[in-house]
Amino acid sequence: MNRQLAHLSDEALVALAARSEQTALAELYDRYGRAAYGLALRVLRDQALAEDAVQDAFLAVWRTAARFVPERGKASTWILTLVHRRAVDTVRREQRRRADSLELAPEPATEGVEEDAWLRLQRERVQEALRHLPDAQREALELAYYGGFSQSELAERLGQPLGTIKSRMFTGLSRLREQLGEPGTEISWTSTT
Amino acid sequence: MDLHDLTAAYALDALDADEAEAYERHLGQCEECREQLAELNETATALAFGTVAAAPPERLRASILDAAAAERANVVPLLRRRWVARGLAVAAAAAACIVVGLVVSQSQSTQKQVFAVFVDRNGNATITATGLGSAPSGKTYEAWVIPATGPAKPAGLFSAGATTTVHLKGTVPPHASVAVTIERAGGATKPTTKPIFSATA
Repeated sequence: MNRQLAHLSDEALVALAARSEQTALAELYDRYGRAAYGLALRVLRDQALAEDAVQDAFLAVWRTAARFVPERGKASTWILTLVHRRAVDTVRREQRRRADSLELAPEPATEGVEEDAWLRLQRERVQEALRHLPDAQREALELAYYGGFSQSELAERLGQPLGTIKSRMFTGLSRLREQLGEPGTEISWTSTT
Repeated sequence: MDLHDLTAAYALDALDADEAEAYERHLGQCEECREQLAELNETATALAFGTVAAAPPERLRASILDAAAAERANVVPLLRRRWVARGLAVAAAAAACIVVGLVVSQSQSTQKQVFAVFVDRNGNATITATGLGSAPSGKTYEAWVIPATGPAKPAGLFSAGATTTVHLKGTVPPHASVAVTIERAGGATKPTTKPIFSATA
């Protein structure tokens, strides 16, 4: 694996990708491809669809890197937002989930998965933060983010006013932000090689 | 519909298409929502790390890189390649030093920009920029030396001319990068914007 760009920040890599530097795109994939695929698989529950979503998202990075504005957010956030949006678009288009119950797919088993040590620590940290939220808020965040349900769908299916769903999402995300907010433990790529 | 209320749902991708469009139009006019969205979006994205990250199939990496190469293959015109070759030849002949980076880019104004970095054996470095426009009002170009580990070191401020040659302050250690950013007039102590150019020794 070519890691000659390993010391560069994510934002510098995006700048290089904007200048058609393919090794920069490869390095971004090496940093975030695994998280991206895990996320897409969680939302889509289908390996082929998850691969398509990740590929579409990284090609969007390649095409639009020149328009990325670092002042508006981290490159990793941008990349994973692209992945998530594609996964959600697909799951809504596929309609398959519409027939399912509102139950979330169970968290995929960790057994048999050779998990990257750093990603495992991040996962445990996010899951721990989620456990600190009231059930209703955690449910709203998980169904929206991992399930791909829109706020209107959630209101209908949970039998709650739309305003209640909105406020659960807002309060839930704000609390999650506090839980995750200790300095020095920011989620971003760090060198593991 | 109060659009301010939609920030969290937008960050979670939990709006229907028409709601999302309305919210995006609103974002263009609402600084408060833009700031809040930046925060909530970062938190929502943390959820991406909250699920088991199974390894993607090996073929996915190659598939992405092949598709990327195919898309961008026609973007590098022959003229640009000649510029690169010529720049390298001239530089090598003139300076007898090591060329560590050369980036040619097409800016939005279709002006061709060529950056070349030369580092001699003692680590003294020069950046030559051609086609670089003036920095925006109140801003300056700032060069940086970024060691393999540790923070970036300011390596000098400069303004652009038709062809600009900048001798960098300090030396460039092995494996360090050289970068140029646009900073507020007077310069910054660490890079605050996306580099317009960077190269690694």
